[in-house]
Amino acid sequence: MKTIRHIRLDRWGALALALLITLAGPLYSPAAEAHGERAQQASLRMRTMHWFDTDIQPRKIAVNETIRVSGRFMPSKSWPEHIRSVEETAFLNIGVPGPAFVRVDSRVNGVAMIRSTRFHLGETYEYEVVLKGRAPGRYHVHPVISVEGAGPIIGPAFWVEVTGDQKDFQHTITTMTGETINPETYALSTILWWNALWFVIGIAWMAWWFRKLPVIMPRYIKVQDLGDDQANQLITIPDMIVSVLFVGFVMLVIAGGFFWANYKYPITAVLQTGKVEVEPLPMPPQKVEVEVNKATYRIPGRSFQVEMTVTNRGERPVQVGEFSAANIRFINAKMFDIKPQDEHDLVASSGLRVESAPIKPGETRTITIYADDALWETYRLVSLINEPDGRFAALLMFYDDQGTRYLNEIQGPMIPSFG
Amino acid sequence: MNTTTGAYGTGAAPDTAGPPTKSAVRNVQEQMAAWKNIDYTLIPIFSILIGGVTVFLIALTVGDWDYWQDWRDRRYWPLVTPFSLIIPAAIFNYFFWKRFRLPIGATAMILGYMFGVWVSRYMNFHVFANFPMNFVAPSTFIGMGILLDCTLALSRSFFVTGLVGAFLFAIVLYPLNWITMAPFHVPVEYNGYLVTVADLMGYQYIRTAIPEYVRIIEESTLRTFGEAVTPLTAFFAGFVTLLNYYLWVWIGSLLTQNRWLTRLI
Ligand SMILES: [Cu+2]
Repeated sequence: MKTIRHIRLDRWGALALALLITLAGPLYSPAAEAHGERAQQASLRMRTMHWFDTDIQPRKIAVNETIRVSGRFMPSKSWPEHIRSVEETAFLNIGVPGPAFVRVDSRVNGVAMIRSTRFHLGETYEYEVVLKGRAPGRYHVHPVISVEGAGPIIGPAFWVEVTGDQKDFQHTITTMTGETINPETYALSTILWWNALWFVIGIAWMAWWFRKLPVIMPRYIKVQDLGDDQANQLITIPDMIVSVLFVGFVMLVIAGGFFWANYKYPITAVLQTGKVEVEPLPMPPQKVEVEVNKATYRIPGRSFQVEMTVTNRGERPVQVGEFSAANIRFINAKMFDIKPQDEHDLVASSGLRVESAPIKPGETRTITIYADDALWETYRLVSLINEPDGRFAALLMFYDDQGTRYLNEIQGPMIPSFG
Repeated sequence: MNTTTGAYGTGAAPDTAGPPTKSAVRNVQEQMAAWKNIDYTLIPIFSILIGGVTVFLIALTVGDWDYWQDWRDRRYWPLVTPFSLIIPAAIFNYFFWKRFRLPIGATAMILGYMFGVWVSRYMNFHVFANFPMNFVAPSTFIGMGILLDCTLALSRSFFVTGLVGAFLFAIVLYPLNWITMAPFHVPVEYNGYLVTVADLMGYQYIRTAIPEYVRIIEESTLRTFGEAVTPLTAFFAGFVTLLNYYLWVWIGSLLTQNRWLTRLI
């Protein structure tokens, strides 16, 4: 009896091990999104997409209520050549952990973005995504542009709190056949009973062969005894009859399921794919011209300075109000009072120092701006000096005395200064 | 030849056991009990272990095509799936036939796989990642395994099993699963586009790491034969699955040769 008890113990041990491998093994998680904002190379963050005017309203909702993520972006003209371009295939996405929200609507320049599209470098786009709260929690909601072959380009984020209970989540889809369905549970009962039926049929097939135990050892010995050719006689006439019955039954169930589905869902369509085209926003005439002379990053002071020649072709004096690079906004405090809206809002409220006077209409002048803030280090933009291609790109916002904004992308090599 | 296996000589039914001449067990009852234990132990462990390995194999080769309702297209999913699944099916089809004359290898493997994949989808995709279960439920393959095993039982030939069984294995995939897919192919009009319920759910239930363009599904080409995509794919899938079956039966025959065992001992 001792041996048998041992076998039994081993059996449970091995079974537990097998179960563990099966369960722990395919721990595939499709929602691997956290805070990727610092992970990508600094120059890539600066030279791919300029996000601005980002807003999310409201910031606190209950399950079933919606938030609106909106803003603008401009693909950088300095897009690195070794990265697949946003001018090929891109998709307006949202960075949240899994379907905490459902995406009710998403648009770029008014065009519905259900599928992928392309964006042109140096052009401006306006986006809007409406999300409906599904799972309660506190989420750092980012707009994301996913670029095929390149990866996600993560935009600025705000914290959004969803309260309530997922059990109360309500969502419906109305089909063209006039049905209103609940996508949370739609067709689930069919899936469950169909799978259960096949488990039963599969186990029945196994049960036929194991109807009288023991099977494995006696058959093993017989196959050894009889040799390969003679061993076929182990398949008996009843075995053959049962096999024929199973083939017939399996084919009948498959056909039955197929025809029942066609009867119940007479109108179906093929999965849809293909690209959506969207026109960029019309460009206002370029009233301010900027040429970068030199860009230096002084490591001890965490100070980025750009010397540039600015020409004002407009009718009103202009001044630099904001410098934004890799989602960090450096604000000229003399012009605007902009405070971070939450603990991860990347705003340096007085991070931009502009010492020169506003540039008058028709004037061309060389000015220097200083973007100083610890955010350079916190968000690892400093690592630019360790990268193989140490170029920066940023969005410069000029404002005239009436508050009209003029956008200029600036870019060029960045020289570190160690003293 | 029969010194150790005495009464198990020829044609006796599997359950008529006689006393072995040399054994650690003392009597027939203990022998039978020990052998029954082997059955109780081996088959569930085999099923679950091989099923678990197959969950990996399918995750690596079929992956997203089977994870999401909006990936089960007419062209790639019914081709990639049987082509991959026939690999373990062929190996264990061969192994159980060669060693025990049991036509159960494919079914046992797929039953284990189905168990593992349901646990994986339920735990990882539904509970952890919070997708609706209907959207991430696995397709069923059990009927395919039974057809392969039955063909082997009836033909007693790997050649015929490949030709008929493996071919059937591949072509029934689509009709076998259509009942769970058809509801998701009902058309919806959304913002001026025609989409299916599956497409719309794929858009609404956000997958940050899997943007829309990652989806590899049928796109129309100039060479597409209009309406005939499904049967043509099925026929082609049947053909390549049949060839893959032969390849893996052969590899299985190398893997399960006794000499590996004797060398180890
Ligand atoms: Cu974040």
